[in-house]
Amino acid sequence: MQYRPFFRAPSLALMMVATAWLASASHAGTVTVVTSFPKELTQAYKSAFEKANPTIKVEILNKNTVQGIAYVRELPVGQRPDVFWASAPDAFEVLAGQNLLDNVADLANRAVPAKVGNYPINNPKGLYLGQALAGYGLMWNTRYMAANKLPVPAQWADLTKREYFGHVAMSSPSRSGTTHLTVETVLQGEGWDKGWSQMLQIAGNCAAITERSFGVPDGVNNGQFGIGLVIDFFGLAGKYSGFPVEFAYPNVTAVVPANIGLVVGGKNAAEAKKFIAYTVSAEGQELLLDPKISRLPILPPEAMKGKVPAGYPNAFEIAKRAKVSFDSDLSESRYNVVSAMFDQTITFRLKELQAATQAIHAAEAALAKKPNAGAAGLVKQARDLAFSPVVGAGMAGNKDFLAVFTANKKDAAVNKQVTGLEDSWNRHAQANYQRARQLAEQALAAAR
Amino acid sequence: MRPGVWLAGAAVLAFLLLFLVLPVGRVFITAFLDADGGFTLGHIGTFFDQGLMRESFFNSLYVAVMSALWAALIAVPLAYFTVRFDFRGALLIQTLGVLPLIMPPFVGAVALQLIFGRSGSINLLLGEHLGFTLPIMEGLNGVVFVAAIHYFPFILMNLTVALRNIDGAMEEAALNLGCKGWRLFWRVIFPLAAPGFVAGASLVFVKVFDDLGTPLVMGQTNLLAPQAYLRITQVGLEDPLGYVISVIMIVFSIAAMALSARALKGRDYATLQKGGASIQRRRLTPAAAVAAYAWIGLVLLLVLSPHVGVLLLSFAQVWSYSPLPDALTLAHYATVFQDSTGMIQNTLLYCGLAAGLDVVLGVTIAYLMLRTTLPARQWLDWIATASLAVPGIVLAIGYLRLYKGMVIPGTELLFTGTWVMIMLAYAVRRLPYALRSCVAALQQVHVSLEEAAESVGATQLRTIRRVVVPLMAGGILAGFVTSFITAAVELSATILLTSAESQAPMSYGIYLYMQSVAGRGPGAALGVLAIVVVAVGTYISHRVVERTGQRFAAQAPVGVTVGGKA
Amino acid sequence: MKKVSVQCRNIRLSYGSTEVLKDVNLDIQPGEFFALLGPSGSGKSTLLRLIAGFNRASSGQLLVDGADISGQAPWQRNIGMVFQSYALWPHMTVWDNVAFGLVERKVDRATLKARVGAALELVGLQDYGARRPNQLSGGQQQRVALARTIVIEPKVLLLDEPLSNLDKTLRVQMRQELLALQRRLGITTLFVTHDQEEAMTTADRMAVLDQGVVQQVGAPAALYDEPVNTFVAQFVGTMNLLPGRVRERRGDGLTLAVEGVGDLALPLRADAPPGETLMLSFRPHSLRMGTPGAEQVSSCIALAGTVEAREFLGEVTRYRVRVGTHSLAVDHPHRAGGAAFPVGDVVSLALEPSQARLLPR
Repeated sequence: MQYRPFFRAPSLALMMVATAWLASASHAGTVTVVTSFPKELTQAYKSAFEKANPTIKVEILNKNTVQGIAYVRELPVGQRPDVFWASAPDAFEVLAGQNLLDNVADLANRAVPAKVGNYPINNPKGLYLGQALAGYGLMWNTRYMAANKLPVPAQWADLTKREYFGHVAMSSPSRSGTTHLTVETVLQGEGWDKGWSQMLQIAGNCAAITERSFGVPDGVNNGQFGIGLVIDFFGLAGKYSGFPVEFAYPNVTAVVPANIGLVVGGKNAAEAKKFIAYTVSAEGQELLLDPKISRLPILPPEAMKGKVPAGYPNAFEIAKRAKVSFDSDLSESRYNVVSAMFDQTITFRLKELQAATQAIHAAEAALAKKPNAGAAGLVKQARDLAFSPVVGAGMAGNKDFLAVFTANKKDAAVNKQVTGLEDSWNRHAQANYQRARQLAEQALAAAR
Repeated sequence: MRPGVWLAGAAVLAFLLLFLVLPVGRVFITAFLDADGGFTLGHIGTFFDQGLMRESFFNSLYVAVMSALWAALIAVPLAYFTVRFDFRGALLIQTLGVLPLIMPPFVGAVALQLIFGRSGSINLLLGEHLGFTLPIMEGLNGVVFVAAIHYFPFILMNLTVALRNIDGAMEEAALNLGCKGWRLFWRVIFPLAAPGFVAGASLVFVKVFDDLGTPLVMGQTNLLAPQAYLRITQVGLEDPLGYVISVIMIVFSIAAMALSARALKGRDYATLQKGGASIQRRRLTPAAAVAAYAWIGLVLLLVLSPHVGVLLLSFAQVWSYSPLPDALTLAHYATVFQDSTGMIQNTLLYCGLAAGLDVVLGVTIAYLMLRTTLPARQWLDWIATASLAVPGIVLAIGYLRLYKGMVIPGTELLFTGTWVMIMLAYAVRRLPYALRSCVAALQQVHVSLEEAAESVGATQLRTIRRVVVPLMAGGILAGFVTSFITAAVELSATILLTSAESQAPMSYGIYLYMQSVAGRGPGAALGVLAIVVVAVGTYISHRVVERTGQRFAAQAPVGVTVGGKA
Repeated sequence: MKKVSVQCRNIRLSYGSTEVLKDVNLDIQPGEFFALLGPSGSGKSTLLRLIAGFNRASSGQLLVDGADISGQAPWQRNIGMVFQSYALWPHMTVWDNVAFGLVERKVDRATLKARVGAALELVGLQDYGARRPNQLSGGQQQRVALARTIVIEPKVLLLDEPLSNLDKTLRVQMRQELLALQRRLGITTLFVTHDQEEAMTTADRMAVLDQGVVQQVGAPAALYDEPVNTFVAQFVGTMNLLPGRVRERRGDGLTLAVEGVGDLALPLRADAPPGETLMLSFRPHSLRMGTPGAEQVSSCIALAGTVEAREFLGEVTRYRVRVGTHSLAVDHPHRAGGAAFPVGDVVSLALEPSQARLLPR
């Protein structure tokens, strides 16, 4: 038997160097795209674009939005990916704010309308282009609903009702750009305090706060959860893929573009521009209509040459109906606060929140049959405790307060301050939920 | 001492330093760095101040301990049955006992959700017919369930080897003095096999403590590994708390391993004398045989349920809120074969190279340790084994941090942008397995065999080549296989280090598929492919090991006996 | 402790198609120190393990103290066994090892302490209770194994090659200690060995086994002086064997024609008819060696030969002398300054008939 070690070592080294050289040789003619979009979509665009441009290869780097931003920031100039392509507009604001995006105004498709509802489709400064439109809504599993005898929900507010306890799922704003958008939409639609109250009640009815946004439609698709808060294409794609699910837009929704931008300091800007131009062209937009992708194009249906299937949602119509006109500057200013608050008071304290919510529901059910003023007072107290945001609207608008959350985390003092705040919210919330639960249980006992 | 020995030692040390010690050290340092570069304990303090972090720490402990417990409950009876009884299913158990290890973790958890989840097959049937449900997959207990099923083979393999090494006379002496049955097991047999058990259980503990994939998939984020991952990937490589968590994870893992090594010190109970026999094999009475087969059947069913689930999912057209899929289709396999040949090639390339590197290093370190007098050679063993305590995500972060911006000379390629990093991460983290196999194999080659060769004129190198390595062949192959199969399903480091889809190995490919609506089917299909590739490879190597083992008397045990001294 | 007898009646044991014990009959007296001697593969260990209960006979009876115990499990028999490897449990201290059997018998603490202490004292290890087996020497380990067995006051004591793992000096010392211990306790003891010196020096009686068959049973001297066949003759001590055909038989003897030597007139009786081959057997020390031409005693059988080799053993010098076509071992007592016979010398050998026996071929 040959002595493997001695023949392996040099040949190993040779192989590694050879492959690395080969890899570097194939670099010209490659466009690197960082995106949070799923494989079906990226595969479709990759295949179509490469077919139209045989000399260019498209490399896809799949990272969720937050990770993608970090990834781009970490790399030095000349080593970065070329294109950033994601759903959440605030992510692009973050990148723009750090001067990581090049101007792409000249690549825009002239046929695209300026706005959808009140929201500009392309960034006014030309730093990124809208590539698809999306709204937010409710998705539910018909079998699950039938088996558990649940009524079909229509508005966010419906999800606060007692009968949906343990059947709902959503993700967290810190993990999912789209969930962040959804939460911001509710906050902007209902106002800070009322919006948080609603979010807390819905979260209390949640069976889980999933780690990634896809976990919600995934769970609803396979019947793990009954109802999910999702971005529209997840619901539609699931339905068209054959899962027993339905999707609906509530009134409090926003239609917001998913964007595509050119990263400063990428490796292959010239060909990357071609890719960006392709994605917003009519041909590129048609790819969005594939049932497995189910996104809304930035071109109105009239401009789509009749390729739009019957019953396909019309983004512009929905935007007209929508009650919220999304303010992305506001969103950006309180981005970290919203994420942190949600995590500390909901994601990480879900068990206690669920327990409190359950107790409140039980008390209210009992009170419905046997009204009792004293008990009702207790329940109201419980509600106030459990469903009020730890940071009030006033503080949320305070610039200094917000500044803490955007400062450099490596500074130990700042880090300590931020984590101190987060910890206090966490404990505060836990105490509130426990107290609320106790009050509700008292009320229940009294109402019997 | 000959120069070649120094050279070998230096080369191994260089590898370990560059790709294990320094990256991990970088992580450590960052945890103690202030914004202006000064030393600070502030971040550590912040960790312990936060209720969430303390809770994550205790949750991680809870999950790790419970997983080890349940894994023991599964493994101990199985091990005992196969060694004690005249059992036709013994070989089956041994082979099937390895399968959980080669399940890509992501896919396994998904499949278990489909079967045991709140709307999974079991609960749907239970709810419909018996009116109650089992919250097996809820919360932390779900993580324990998945982890126990996934990791119990570590205990099974180590315990079986230890049981087989017990001198039968030990048992007969006890029988002779009136001890039998349960008392015999508890007073004599289990204590003698304890080193193997502790080695396996401590390994399970450490791996569950550091596991990222399972809690992430199941949405249980109040654990240390997910918290570290989330914090580091959210704000980039800046958030100090992520590093603090990493440090705590490593320190604690090392502590656990050191404790178990200390507890086993001097208790190497491999007492099998030359010419001695193992403990008695007994016949089962028909009633006992039925009961035994039934128990084993049940356990195997449980343990293989992820595989069954993945298989079903790969053929399922739509599987939603029903015990079984609506309809079956081959379309997913078609998709996979179309898109994924590149990924399969990548897996074979990375894992093959990594495993190859591991056995080279393993043989070298084993030889340096057992046959030379190189000063501080024991350190090579300790450092290499310490990588078990380094979570995959921490190693990945270390690489990204340490080699940030470093470019391969002559090209514009970032070092961290190549697949070489992925392969090195695999090699470093799998090295302990290969090392243990190589050490065990070398221990069984008596030094007089080498001295005989040298006395008739063979140089040290030629002796190694013509005498030592062939005699170690079984152990080398076992180490290669274990390295390969665990690398093939690795996800935590892969997620962070893969920078392009074309670089992706199968495990990453599965993860990508699972991110999309129509991707569960193909993802499961790819998972099945991964399992098949690995299972076939393992089987082939087992046969080769057996045949070479029959040619030479020396036979190395498959698996890891961590903590046993060289 | 009561002394009991052990009897094997027509015991057969087969593993599959291989017969390991063939119709074994033994009668061991109460309090006897009995040896089972034989080469490896003779079945002696199998027989011992059968008595301990680790094997089951295919047919036959095993009686201890008159009762058939063939159906009893090992833990029911109260027969103590000391294993060749001692089988001390490494995870327990010496004390715990010795106390093991008593714990199983649920003896109360005070009594247990007393008995274990006494057992350890009996084997001279009273200060070693806290040590672990891997801290003891081979001889000490064996004593612990012994203490562990006798503390339970067994009916019968079984020793499986107890001395084979010890070095020579220790072996001599230990066998004497074993014997002394056995005499003191009076337990019927059966021990297995392949070393005939061990068996002869210690046993009251012994049985020689070969290939599962009991060849001969008797006191050591009886087996040494009067072996019934060539196997026993050669296994117990060194024996010279000269094959010869019976030429003629007379009333008080016969003539044996030994090839290469000639006809030997032997005053020995045998039942074999003329023409049959018999083996003339005699021990090396029963030959007197002298220079040729020296005075011969008329009653002795005279042989002549050439010295081929010699080994100085201390008490004797063992010569290999070629007599005709045969090589004989001759032990010549050594005296400091006495005569030696160099290799190549022609010597005369005188054999006293009373020291020779005729054995079947």
